[in-house]
Amino acid sequence: MTPEQLALRDAVRSLLDKHSDVRAAIETPHGYDKDLWARLCDIGVLPIPEQYGGSGAGQEETRVALEELGRTLTPAPLLSSAIVAQALLATGDEEVCGRLLPRIADGTVATLVWPWDTAEITTTPALDHPEVTTTVATASLDGTSRYVLDGDLAEILLVSDGTSLYEVDPGQPGVIREHTPTMDLTRRLATVHLTGASATRLGPWSSRIRDIALAALSAEQVGAAARALELTVEYTKTRVQFGKPIGSFQALKHRMADLHVLVETARSAALAATDEKSAAVAKVYCSEAFFKVAAEMVQLHGGIAITWEHDAHLYFKRAHGSGQLFGSPQVHLARLARSVP
Amino acid sequence: MDLSLDSSTLEFQAEVRSWLAAHVRPLSSMDTAPGFEEHREWERRLAAARLSVVSWPAEFGGRDASLLQWLVFEEEYHAAGAPGRVSQNGIFLLAPTLFAHGTEEQRSRILPSMARGDEVWAQAWSEPEAGSDLASLRSTAVRCDGGWLLRGQKTWSSRAAFADRAFGLFRTGPGERHRGLTYLLFDLRAEGVTVRPINQLDGEPGFAEIFLDDVFVPDRDVVGEIGDGWRVAMSTAGNERGLTLRSPGRFLAAAGRLVELYRKNPDPALRDRVVDAWIGAQAYRLHTFGALSNPPSGPAASVTKVFWSELDVALHETALDLLGEGAPGWRDGWLFSLSGPIYAGTNEIQRNVIAERLLGLPR
Repeated sequence: MTPEQLALRDAVRSLLDKHSDVRAAIETPHGYDKDLWARLCDIGVLPIPEQYGGSGAGQEETRVALEELGRTLTPAPLLSSAIVAQALLATGDEEVCGRLLPRIADGTVATLVWPWDTAEITTTPALDHPEVTTTVATASLDGTSRYVLDGDLAEILLVSDGTSLYEVDPGQPGVIREHTPTMDLTRRLATVHLTGASATRLGPWSSRIRDIALAALSAEQVGAAARALELTVEYTKTRVQFGKPIGSFQALKHRMADLHVLVETARSAALAATDEKSAAVAKVYCSEAFFKVAAEMVQLHGGIAITWEHDAHLYFKRAHGSGQLFGSPQVHLARLARSVP
Repeated sequence: MDLSLDSSTLEFQAEVRSWLAAHVRPLSSMDTAPGFEEHREWERRLAAARLSVVSWPAEFGGRDASLLQWLVFEEEYHAAGAPGRVSQNGIFLLAPTLFAHGTEEQRSRILPSMARGDEVWAQAWSEPEAGSDLASLRSTAVRCDGGWLLRGQKTWSSRAAFADRAFGLFRTGPGERHRGLTYLLFDLRAEGVTVRPINQLDGEPGFAEIFLDDVFVPDRDVVGEIGDGWRVAMSTAGNERGLTLRSPGRFLAAAGRLVELYRKNPDPALRDRVVDAWIGAQAYRLHTFGALSNPPSGPAASVTKVFWSELDVALHETALDLLGEGAPGWRDGWLFSLSGPIYAGTNEIQRNVIAERLLGLPR
């Protein structure tokens, strides 16, 4: 990390240490702490150039921030808004960027409905993806998309049909959005129904956005996995049985050592995710690493982890929710199987 | 992260690739007497092309290659299916120790002949009663006129059946366990040395027992200070566990062969394991490239060691499951992969290191 990225990491971490209260945030109507989100936007965690009202951060900086948000499981519309910012920048359309990016930089929630382009490494629609179809002549959109990040909250809505990228006014009658109750309470998801929704075409859809989204999610997963392991290590240093901290028992030590190997290699995979192949590798590897760490977090904590009060279940549920988000490891593994080497 | 190569590295890569394409041919097992000499000859040819020790300084036969260039060399080397390195113990284990703790005289006397394969080195760490608990070793070196006399027994000494010289730790006192040990070099053909080859599970003697009965070692073959052997040995132990022993190139090549194998024998039930193994090799590569500016050493090398040794087993097991019984090309590699979690410090010891020194768990 550059010195600037380290400073950003420290700033975000210290903000979250002081102000992130996950349990309180998920009880709010929107599922996240709006004041905290405003402070995060002030720090400059969104990948928006200064000319569009942003901090000049890029994808790398956003990934640093996402890793921190992952550590604490803090609900915030960063992943969704950052993906939209990248999609807008990719259009190269200065008018659109000038109109929408400053609002996003100020904290307006934005989200993208996109095909979790899972069938091919290029652009074949996925089996489990909503059929969003385009009537090109009228630029009206039809279809239903599930599991849209912050889909019911977003004031800025972009839609991709796998070919083109559109801007859609979420307030119009042709757009109906429903909050989706999720097992992972720290992640806000919605179903978006489009019925003859009028849309403005912004440009061609680029599969680069998928890769950026996968890389960003991987960073968040690594942060959460790393923190889950830290909490587990701390717990086993203090929990005493047979007159000794249970972390001194080799049977447990070796399990945690294996988790450390997994987290460190997952971090490398997430950091190196720059293109189609490495982003898919990162999604598979980091999802599976986080599954494993979260499952072991539960086992190594013992009975306390089975309680609602303890955070282990939040990590466990986040692991499984984020594993499915943007396509499960199996889906990306199948995609890699077709394109390897 | 930018993984693209600069122009001088690309040039180096092209040179290595074309040289290997022109020179690589299959050799007999290095664990047979004729195969050992074939491998020694191969080292001489590598050295003549200045490719045997690319990361060393030029004055000792190297090219001062950067770590990145060394990784590139390794990728090319394994992709070409080039022979195993019979000189591995010397060039990857003893040499870094001499660079860190040896004298100028030792470096100029020992390294050039090591680089040419003229002297092949074996390691002599373990003893029958000192395996994972290496600090309990009992072999001694007793002061004599002009040097030391070695007494005791070493075992699991890789390459010792046919090698020329060996390096190891000996008790010179005073003190117990990690104290009072000295790092010494000795000649495997010296008077008083008996080498008894041990056949490995593939039937060939890849390692040996060494019996030492008042074997003379001159003072010039003491590495580092008397009594400081543990520190001298451990300061470069990370080399064995980490990158240099098993670079990503080895596993990338094996993963590539595995994918080819799957193409010829597609078994949908094994597809995910094939891709998982391929992903593992990619992850190891990204991990090492990510660590270029700060190569894993000390306890961090333990992370690497656990990862590559288990990846190697998974790669070979998947290949064998694809091929069933008709897997002669993979069988030897599979048998060898079983030793990965054991040699260079067992994975159980590595996990202790990770748990205690990286995670801070109590002893």
